[in-house]
Amino acid sequence: MANTHSDHPAHLQHHFVSSEQQFDAAKMGMWLFLVTEILLFSGMFVAYTVYRSWHPEVFVLSSELLNPWLGGLNTIVLLASSFTVALGIHFAQVNNKKGLVINLVLTFLFALTFLVVKYFEYTAKFEHGIFPGAAFDPHGVSHGVDYAMYNVPYARQFFSIYFVMTGIHGVHVLVGMGLFTWITIRAIKGEFSSEYYTPVENCGLYWHLVDIIWIFLFPLLYLI
Amino acid sequence: MSHVEHHVSSIKLLTTVFGGLVFLTVFTVLTAQLDLGPLNVPLALLIATTKAALVVIIFMALKWDNKVNTAIFGIGVLFVFVFISFTLFDTLFRGDLTNTVEGTIQDQMIQEEAMKAREPASDAIQFNRTPQ
Repeated sequence: MANTHSDHPAHLQHHFVSSEQQFDAAKMGMWLFLVTEILLFSGMFVAYTVYRSWHPEVFVLSSELLNPWLGGLNTIVLLASSFTVALGIHFAQVNNKKGLVINLVLTFLFALTFLVVKYFEYTAKFEHGIFPGAAFDPHGVSHGVDYAMYNVPYARQFFSIYFVMTGIHGVHVLVGMGLFTWITIRAIKGEFSSEYYTPVENCGLYWHLVDIIWIFLFPLLYLI
Repeated sequence: MSHVEHHVSSIKLLTTVFGGLVFLTVFTVLTAQLDLGPLNVPLALLIATTKAALVVIIFMALKWDNKVNTAIFGIGVLFVFVFISFTLFDTLFRGDLTNTVEGTIQDQMIQEEAMKAREPASDAIQFNRTPQ
């Protein structure tokens, strides 16, 4: 069998039998990577569970300082970005380049919106001395809330867990924005079609996982 | 070369799922404002799990995907449960760590042996001795 480049589509690498095998292999690799991501976050969920089981009343009190409306808004923003990714993959599968590019750009903008909201949430906490770790020193009064009242034993642990979990999640959002920039450029160049859209599919899987992590972080930190 | 058609989710299905996810988000924010006593935490977790399941099954298309990916994901989730539950087997049952006995278990065993040595032999003790 002559293995010249004209024999197969440009995206098909020589060590794969078919486009289908290449797609399945890439996707399975992505799922394996997602499992390592789930296990990375599960360590932090374990820390949350153990500290909450030891000091449930402190967790209930401290979560009052987080704004459920801003957290809820960010949840909807991330869900919308997952929706646009799913739509993007749909458009890639039906060879609609314009639909794909529009949805990838929307996904990027939703991710940016999420981080902007998070920036305002973080700075509002920093203004009142709510920092992770040793610098934790709640003080001041705003909107009728006396922050010093929240300086109880183990409140520091709640906010350290809050900052670490949302911070590492935020880094994942940032990485996602980088990925979508790359995918959008390739989509504009017309590199994707119903025959080949593996990078769109895999970035989509990554993005949905980032969404799922937030789906759990939101009620655990903001609501209960 | 055989070509297997990938599943294409319809825009209508994706929109319905997105609507459901937004509804569940509003629902969880509203129910969290109510005081349901011990039910608040399980309810919030149940809603979050439902949302995550919708994303995994429809948006990530595990429903139509190769079953090996479902197996990989399922094993990952299983080990998260193992991680959390086995940690709690320890941390939930440590009891009161301040209420401990001085000395090591070895010391306590030595003490116990010493006390046994001071006891009279068991056959020397006779209760309800019948008068001879």
